[in-house]
Amino acid sequence: MKYILLMSGTAAGVEGYHAWPKQDIEAHMAVLHRINKDLAESGEFIATQGLAEPKEAKVVRGDKNGVPVTDGIFPESKEFLLGYWIVDVPNAERAYAIAGRISSASSNMPIEVRQFATYEVKSR
Amino acid sequence: MKYILMMNTMKSGHGVPGWPGKDLQAHIGFMIDINKELHERGELVSAEGLSFPDLAKLVRAGKDGRPLTDGIFPESKEFLAGFWIIDVDGPQRAYEIAAKVSAAPGPGGAPLNMPIEVRPIMSGPPPEML
Repeated sequence: MKYILLMSGTAAGVEGYHAWPKQDIEAHMAVLHRINKDLAESGEFIATQGLAEPKEAKVVRGDKNGVPVTDGIFPESKEFLLGYWIVDVPNAERAYAIAGRISSASSNMPIEVRQFATYEVKSR
Repeated sequence: MKYILMMNTMKSGHGVPGWPGKDLQAHIGFMIDINKELHERGELVSAEGLSFPDLAKLVRAGKDGRPLTDGIFPESKEFLAGFWIIDVDGPQRAYEIAAKVSAAPGPGGAPLNMPIEVRPIMSGPPPEML
């Protein structure tokens, strides 16, 4: 079963992270690397990505002619995706355990855990 | 350059939209066509749909590192419904693709024009943090 573990935070939270002492940031990154390595070794790792900062985010809508209309203004309360892990595990409990480890390495940040939709799409 | 296109359109308690079956089929068919086109152009890295919010959990580590799960979310929370990761020449192309996805057909075949969040993906942590 595939799950995605989503780490989200506000733009203000990201600024706060930049203010962490260098050694704390290094320790944080080292634990995340360790987790990725463990997941690779257990065969549960599918993918992980960090996203660029909220200030680089745009929200896009298509206008009547399908031309993209971009906007970069977000409410301050908006939670941005900071990064994610995709794992393939036997059950939800294992996904929660991995999320717990990531949370533990990241100031106990909440990690949203979501299962991939698996329904078959019939060919038309 | 890699970008993620996020469809943050689901709200707590919502399942499959109550559209007529043919409208749902047209919507899904549209998404399949886009994925096919992106794949043929060599721009598709991955595309996934997520299960509905009723299966979502929020996990924090307890003091001993054990997972504490919570399934209560504010009503205003937007849930990720699905995402695309694309590898394109620049932001303009990412926005073009996002606009196409935004205009996916809804009830009666009218374009939904839903907002799609577009974010560059980092190639890796800054070297000084490794």
